[in-house]
Parts: sequence; structure tokens; C-alpha cells
Amino acid sequence: MTDFQTTDFQQRALTLAGQQQSPAWLAALRFEGSEQWLNADWPGRRTELWKYTPLQALQKSTSAGWSSALPQGAGSAALLTIDAIRLVFVNGVFDAKASTANHDSVVRFSNANDAQRSLIEKHLGRIVDTKRHLFASLSNAWVQDGVLVHVPRNVVLEKPVYVVHVSTPEAEPVIANQRLLIVLEDNSQAELIEHFASDARTQNSFVNALTEVSIAANSSLQHYRINLEQEAQIHIGGVHIDLQRDSRYSGFTIAEGSALKRIDYQINHRGNGAYASLNGVYLPRNNQLVDYHTNVEHWAPHCTTSEIFRGIIGDSARAVFNGRILIHPDAQKTLAELSNRNLLTSDKAEVDTKPELEIYADDVKCAHGATVSQLDQTAMYYLQSRGVSKTQARTMLSFGFINELLQDLPQPAVRDYLQHHLTVLFGMDTGTGLS
Amino acid sequence: MTEQVEGLIRKEYAAGFHTSIESDTLKPGLDEEVIRFISAKKEEPEWMLEWRLKAFRAWQEMEEPTWAHVHYPNIDFQALSYYSAPKSMADKPKSLDEVDPELLEMYAKLGIPLHEQEALAGVAVDAVIDSVSVVTTYRAKLEEAGVIFCPISEAVHRFPELVKKYLGTVVPQKDNFYAALNSAVFSDGSFVYIPKGTRCPMELSTYFRINEMNTGQFERTLIIADEGSYVSYLEGCTAPMRDENQLHAAVVELVALDDAQIKYSTVQNWYPGDKEGKGGIYNFVTKRGICHRNARISWTQVETGSAVTWKYPSCILKGDNSVGEFYSVALTNNFQQADTGTKMIHIGKNTRSTIVAKGISAGRSQSAYRGLVRINAGAEGARNYTQCDSLLIGDRCGAHTFPYIESKNSTAQIEHEATTSKVSDDQLFLCQQRGLDAEKAVSMIVNGFCREVFKELPMEFAVEAGKLLEVSLEGSVG
Repeated sequence: MTDFQTTDFQQRALTLAGQQQSPAWLAALRFEGSEQWLNADWPGRRTELWKYTPLQALQKSTSAGWSSALPQGAGSAALLTIDAIRLVFVNGVFDAKASTANHDSVVRFSNANDAQRSLIEKHLGRIVDTKRHLFASLSNAWVQDGVLVHVPRNVVLEKPVYVVHVSTPEAEPVIANQRLLIVLEDNSQAELIEHFASDARTQNSFVNALTEVSIAANSSLQHYRINLEQEAQIHIGGVHIDLQRDSRYSGFTIAEGSALKRIDYQINHRGNGAYASLNGVYLPRNNQLVDYHTNVEHWAPHCTTSEIFRGIIGDSARAVFNGRILIHPDAQKTLAELSNRNLLTSDKAEVDTKPELEIYADDVKCAHGATVSQLDQTAMYYLQSRGVSKTQARTMLSFGFINELLQDLPQPAVRDYLQHHLTVLFGMDTGTGLS
Repeated sequence: MTEQVEGLIRKEYAAGFHTSIESDTLKPGLDEEVIRFISAKKEEPEWMLEWRLKAFRAWQEMEEPTWAHVHYPNIDFQALSYYSAPKSMADKPKSLDEVDPELLEMYAKLGIPLHEQEALAGVAVDAVIDSVSVVTTYRAKLEEAGVIFCPISEAVHRFPELVKKYLGTVVPQKDNFYAALNSAVFSDGSFVYIPKGTRCPMELSTYFRINEMNTGQFERTLIIADEGSYVSYLEGCTAPMRDENQLHAAVVELVALDDAQIKYSTVQNWYPGDKEGKGGIYNFVTKRGICHRNARISWTQVETGSAVTWKYPSCILKGDNSVGEFYSVALTNNFQQADTGTKMIHIGKNTRSTIVAKGISAGRSQSAYRGLVRINAGAEGARNYTQCDSLLIGDRCGAHTFPYIESKNSTAQIEHEATTSKVSDDQLFLCQQRGLDAEKAVSMIVNGFCREVFKELPMEFAVEAGKLLEVSLEGSVG
């Protein structure tokens, strides 16, 4: 086992890439990724994109290498109860037993036929801008397997696709590289649920996850990304979406904090009339950190973006939010809105938020808002005057603050799962943290 | 790159600004000798020289900031001259006939009286105009109240204790690249001291220092409001300023002691460059105030000039219950670029801050709001409200908002809102249908858009600011 403290992390990561066995047709992408990864400047406090999020936890992590054990299912991690096309990865290794049978539209890269392979080659690593996203180049360098969801023209996928990444304890902490590619052809529709979970005993492993989504004209994707791992885990994730004419993306993401958790969303409106909505919730506690960076770029006219992020930050935790909306010249008639609201429930908690607007077209309507506060004192007073205890009132109001985003989720399985999870979380925490 | 800058300068001068090189002007370049020379010229005491040298040594270690959303050719700091003696009467234009007619046209539009026009254009005027006598009357009044208002170079000699005590306490020498440069080579500026419990009997304005103008490109201002005092200070004026220096790096420091109040209003209208974006002033300013207990600092600015603006008037709310305010209108047209905003650092308990920033971009200009609201862990009950609105006129300009919000206290309440839109077609239609032409209609809408900020300006300023926007927006509609 090599200690990251003494080795340059970038170098070490490449050594790990060398230990992988990957198909020849991915070699070019891996090489490109390695080159970029090695030549990139390591982000520090002066790197704007990483200003509030130190990577020391990653450099100091003792993660040893790839998983060597046979996948043993999800362990104690609670999964969704849902009728879906399910793929389970345990520490980055596909677990066939825990997954559903093969499906025409959903294949792993290693099982792809020629047509699917050329589709992968066409899109993989091409939707994400690796110059801006350092860890996407690492993902390219590490790409070995992944999941392709390909929905052909005029097809509505009959079931949601449920991709689970579970971390379970092994002899040494492990690294996992998770890769997902979604290609929706014209007039198609799909639903995707990404779930990152871990067994209660998992040590500090590192998961680098990257999802690329291409949505063709008139197609629509409903996407959930759930990050509820143990707090020792390091997670760096990216979701990169290209939207063509009149297509639709509806995203929801939720994350509890961990030693280091950074999630990037990049949405590109490339065709006229595209629509994207992204709602998110973050709930760091203890000494955790959650960092959401979203970047929505409007390249084409008549597109719409709606983005809402809410966070409750407790104990000594820290939340970072950066929501950028960039309107390129010619992207006229754009409507874009972003709202970020934060509740600080402890004096040691910290939030650093930065909603950004960068606008180069004039006929647009863009707005963003950000607030940081504690629970509404008049609401607290109202509840207490009705005989609700202070603790209960806080729980109710905190839950309500988040539940506004949860209750409208169209997928009942996700909604019920999260509502249950939060009820337990808020209820258990009396006196400290969230409640 | 240097050639480019020089090229720009030269072309600029060709347009009518005078650039006769004077015998007393220092050769381009900056080293310790230059600083000793400047200090000696001003007959400064030893401690002042040491202070400058310390800044210079720090500056040498620093790098030019590149994070702002502005682009301009690199500046060769060794190609600039850092001292020029005040112009002799002989070098100045003899009468308004020798002044750039475009400038005069602008004055006329702003409704500036003739003798003021002469003063602004730098015409060599002997003690003819009224304003001189006006100045002397005002001075007497201020002295009576015990208010000190004089050039900072004079203050160094007359009030060394005050200058020593406060200079560099709000903007330290090493604060940033341009502040360090300013600290090393600052030419002159204003010094204001309001004694305890005094309400300054009039609004102080650089205009009243007109006979001591030509403070040059590295202006340094220090305002101290002692306990329980009040002062309102006006900087700049609406008329376009004639100036030969392309780079401006000013520093303004405000100290509001317990229960004091400082209101600082700026109208900045330096030469913005021509319609093709050639020439124009680079305005890199550091302005900051510190509020002690129950104190209040309010910044109001109307920024319409300069080719490149880089300016963040800030408040450090150190004392409990102190208040910081920032009201800004930034208008950019043609090829102008502005990156401006504020920083509100909440340290004391129950500190409050309000930010209202209005940006208007026209032509091919880029304007950005960049702000920081930081609530430290001890700032219990802190409160911030921020509103940034941008208005776009034309499809080749840009408006950007970069607010940084950092909160470490759960009892703090922060609200930030920003919107960007264009002048609405409906509003335009309504105005035009009532008989206003398109240009008038836009200027009316823009004036309404800026109302919240204008109402914070002293009365005369507010009226002029409205006109100024109208003039600055000319040619951007239709």
C-alpha cells in the first residue's frame, strides 16, 4: 500500500491506471485523459473552481487501489424498492447477481456490440469539457468499464434505469471509477436513477463518478442522483448534459456530506427551445463538506433553465455552492432562474455560496437569488405557541424546507425512500445538528 | 505590448488632449530612486519616505491581478513616468477656443456654466472666477468648525500624528498590487479630519480644492471621522475629466470611529475612450472604510467613465451595530469595461449592510458586479441585503454578476438577488406611443432603473447624474 501523503497524487493515480486491464478500443481516450490529468495544475486555494474546497482529504487518503474482492451485494446499504432495470456495482465491480438480466438498451461497455461500441466512441468523453473539469480527465484515464443507456428513436424506455454504486468494506480502502453514458435519440424518453450508497462499515474509499448525457431533439430525461454514503467516503462526481432542440432534462440531486464531496453539473443548451430544470438538496453535518458546482450554458435561443438548491448545514459542517448561468451571444429569448437557500443550524457551520450570471445576449430574462439564514423565528414562535416543542418545531420547519423539493418528485419510489430517510435523519438528531 | 499601450496613448492625444513633455517630468521607470525623488520633491519627513519604500518593496514582490472580468493590453510599469510637476500657466490652453470641441459640446449638454467649463478643461485662469472667492469663504467656515480639509501632502507636514496614526490602517501598503503601487508613488489627494461630535457644516467636495487640482494619477485620500461626527464627501464631478495619464490607481481610506458617519459619493467620468474603444483611462481603485462601534459608512457611486474600471469600495464592519452601505450605478458603453462591486466584512455583532448595484451595458461594453459578503463567526445577528440588477441595451454587450457569500454565523441573515434583462419592449412602446422618441424613452427608463441609487446622491449630484447617463448613452439606441 502506498501512502498518498508521500506520493504525488497525480502520479499515483496514473500508476493505478497502469494496473488496469482495459479494452483496446478505449486506449485512445485513456491516453488522452492521462495526458491531461498529468499536465493539469493541481487545484489550490487560488484556483477559482476549488477556492473553498481543499483536496487535502484526497491527497491524504489512504486509499490503496482497485477492489480485488468478488462483489458481495450491497451489504447494509439500503436501496430503493423499485421495479427497474437495475445494475449494481460494488466498489466499482459489476455485481451480476444483484443486478437484473441484460437489457437491449442498457449494456456495460464490456458487453457492447459493434453499433453500441461506435456510439460509445462517438460520445464518451466528448460531452464533458475536461479542460474545466480536472477529475473528468482522471475518469477518462481510468475508464475501463461503464454503463451505456441507449434509447433509440421514438422509444420510451418502459422501466427506469437504476444504477447503484455501493461501497463496502474490504481489507484496504478502495478506489472506484464509475462511468455512465446516456444517449437519447430523437423523440425518446427515459428515466435514470443513480444511487451512491455505502455499507455502514466502509472506510475512506474514493469514488470518482462521471455521467455524460446526450439528449437529442424532442427527447426527455428524468434523472435522479442520490449521494447518501458514509461520511468517511470521498466522492467527486460530474454530470454533463447536452440538450438538443426542444429536448428536456429534469434533474434532482441530494447529498449528505462526507470528508470530501464535490459534485459538478454542466448543462449545455445546444438546440433551440431546450428546457432544463435542476433541483438539489445538501445536508452536511458533523465535520462534513459538500460542494455543488453547477454551470448552465445557453448556446441557443429560446431555452429555459430553472434551478433550485437548498441546504441545511449543521454542526461544524461546510457547504459550498456555485451556480453559474452563462448566456452566450445569440442565445436570445433565454429564461433562466436560479435560487439557492441555506439554513445554518450551528454557529460552527459555514456556507460559501456564489451564484453567478454571465450574460452576453440582451434579450434575456435571468435572475438568481441566494439567502443564508436560520429558521424563521416567527414560524418557530407560531408553532411553539400552538404547543409544539422547540425541538419538534425545528424538525418540522427544517424538514418542510427540504420537503418542498421532495414532494414534487414524479418517481414515487425515490420520493418515499428519501422522505423516509430524512424523517429518520431529522428525528434522530434531536438536540444537535439538523433538528 | 508596451508599444500597444503607448500607441493607444499617442492616438488618444491626437484626438485633442495635450501632452507637452515638461522639463520637470521624471524619466519613465520606477525604482527606489524615483520614490526618493518624489518624496524629496514634496519635502516629506523621513518616516513618510520609509513608508513609501516599504510599499515599493512589497509591490516588487506582487503580481498584477488577473481575476477581474476585463481585458486590456499589459501595462509596462517601467514605461510610465511617476512624477510630473504641476503645469505652468503657459502650457495650458489659453481659452476655450483651444479645447477639443467635442468636449465643449459635452459640457454644453450637461449645462455646465462657462467659467466652470474653463476650470474643468484646464484653461489657464487667473484669479478671475467667482469660485476662488467661494473657496475662501468655505475654508473659513470649515476652520471655524475645526474641520481639517487639505491636500494630504500638506497634512503630512501639519498633522503628522494623525497621518501616521491612520494612513495605511484600512488599506495596508501590501493590500493589493495597485494599492501597493499607490502607496509607493502617490502624488497627492485629500485629507479630512472631523473632530469629535462635529457635524461638518457643508458637503466637502474636491471641487472646492480646484485651485489645488492636478493631483495626478495616484491619488490618495484619507478621511477620519472622530467619535460622533458626520461628514459627506463628494468626489469627482459629472463633467468629463481631462487627464493625460492613462493609468489611474487611487486609494481611499475612510475611518469612522465610534458613532461617526461618513457618506462618500463619487461621480466618475474619466475619459472612456472613443467609439472604437481606443484610448481611455484605466481606473484601478482601492476604496475601503472601517466602521467602529455604531458607525456608518455609505458609498454611493456613479461610474460612467474610464475604459477599464476595477473598483470595489468596501466596508469593514468591525464595531458592534455598525452599518455599511453601497449604492452604485455603473454604465458602460462602446468598448468600456467595468468590474466593480463591494465587499462587506461583518465582524461586529448586529452589523448591517445594504448593497444596491445597478449595471447598464450598451454597445460592446462589458460590465460586471463582483461582491463579497462575509459574515465572521462572531458577527451575531448580522444582516445583509444585496440587490444587483443589470440592464442590457444592444445585443453585443455583456452583463455579469459574481457575488461571493460566505457565512459562518447561524444567526446572520443574508439575502442576495440579481436580475438581468433588457429594456422591455412594452415600456419602450408605451413611452414612444406617448410621443417620446426612442432615445428619450430609453434614457427615461434607465433613469427610473437607477432611481434607488440616485436618491442616495446629494441633490445637485443626482440631477447631474441623470443628465450624465443620458449623454453617455447617446448613440446606443436604434
